[in-house]
Amino acid sequence: MSARADVLVRLAGAATPAFLGFLGVILLASPIRLAGGLLPTPIIPLIIVYFWSLYSPGHLPAVSVFLMGLLHDLLSGGPIGMWPTAYLVMQQIAISQKAYFLGRELRVVSIGFAVAAFVVSLILWFVMSLMTATLLPIGGLLWQMLLTSAFFPLFAMAFGRLHRRVVIEV
Amino acid sequence: MELLGRETRERFGLRSRSQVGILLLSLVSVILLLSSLYSAEASVFKKAREAAIETASPVLELLSVPIGWLSGRLGAINDYFRVLEQNEALREENAALRQWEDEARSLRGVITALEELDAYKAPPPAKPVNAFVIGEANDAYAHSMIINAGAKDGVLRGNAAVDERGMVGRIVDVSSNAARILLLNDVQSRIPVFVEESYVEGLLIGRSTAQPTIAITKLANGDLIKPGQRVITSGAGGVLPRGLAVGVIAAVSEKEATVDLAADYARSRIVRIINYEFPDVEPTPLAASGASAAAAELVAPGSEAPAAALDVANLPALPPVAAPSVEEGD
Repeated sequence: MSARADVLVRLAGAATPAFLGFLGVILLASPIRLAGGLLPTPIIPLIIVYFWSLYSPGHLPAVSVFLMGLLHDLLSGGPIGMWPTAYLVMQQIAISQKAYFLGRELRVVSIGFAVAAFVVSLILWFVMSLMTATLLPIGGLLWQMLLTSAFFPLFAMAFGRLHRRVVIEV
Repeated sequence: MELLGRETRERFGLRSRSQVGILLLSLVSVILLLSSLYSAEASVFKKAREAAIETASPVLELLSVPIGWLSGRLGAINDYFRVLEQNEALREENAALRQWEDEARSLRGVITALEELDAYKAPPPAKPVNAFVIGEANDAYAHSMIINAGAKDGVLRGNAAVDERGMVGRIVDVSSNAARILLLNDVQSRIPVFVEESYVEGLLIGRSTAQPTIAITKLANGDLIKPGQRVITSGAGGVLPRGLAVGVIAAVSEKEATVDLAADYARSRIVRIINYEFPDVEPTPLAASGASAAAAELVAPGSEAPAAALDVANLPALPPVAAPSVEEGD
């Protein structure tokens, strides 16, 4: 392999988390109605932000996280700046807790994700309530975060494999 | 099982990535949030949103095909288990609809007779645009849909979107090939409505829950609203046509009435955009000069912003000229 192709492949590997994140945002904007609309769509970008901020923050810089959030806001039609804030808070939480979670079992990491998702929901709810000057219901958001947390182990395992094979090893 | 990140843990602490970036971008996000708080409809944001849905629409359209197929299959399995009760419900509905058909036929006869007498002026024909739902905000606090029709198909900002059951929402962003519908339960949604039987004009306000509410004011005889009464669009503000089915009053409290929406957001895959032009206003001798001026302002055709529709419901009553459709003649 020539040096140039090598660099390209490396670059593609490094861009995988960000690419997955954007894909997750697009998927979140598509009309997926789990169980006939009874279950909300899990927020996969949040899982991606947490996972890579924990295991390899160099592969998911804050700029990518910010742009993911921005795209999320633009597609959902909500106030601009809301999801960048949420994703960046998630990244901050993950990076600050890195020392504790690295090398721990998936169970522990999943619980960590659930707690972080809860904190993010509280912030989202607070900001949105403040912005609309009404006390918004928080139940739907917590339910969505709970579902996302339930999906976390599944995605974390898949991302773990992907991370070893594609992101680092090429 | 090999634990991910163990070897990184050993050398963790040697290399601390600067968190300045996160801090800086968080600050930018908060500034963006604050600026969208003070200028929610800023043209820069609007343009950015329209560009985003325009760019994303081919991808979303591509994605919506397998998603639609899959949920169609899953829905079919679901239906299979509930075929008996569904059959029963459909039979009942069919019986009720037959009665309505009779009534509609006789009413059509009346209308034809009136048309011959020249006593009836038909409302201007609406030009519906059919579109597929290719995107949906799956957020707790943003309720919107993206459709695959835009300015090229004649969709305009402020147009009403309906599905086969009733009103879904109104168009807020339009790009050339895609548009966004703000659903009735979004916190930003404000729709002028009319409650049948109690003859109350009001504003339907989204609450981010399944049921939007109508604020009850003494001025507008809000105490007459009772559960079970039908809610339709009032046509005030000159953007939405009058008479679109919105829902049914579910419960009434002191300050507000909650509304069960007629549209089923979990099922709407195809929506119809009603591109409606308000008729020009001819001041009637009945209307006092002041009222007719207000009316002319109200129904100004092609009035730009949906924001104009918001203030209108504060006016005490709808001028008689502003009601071009079904609910008029007694």
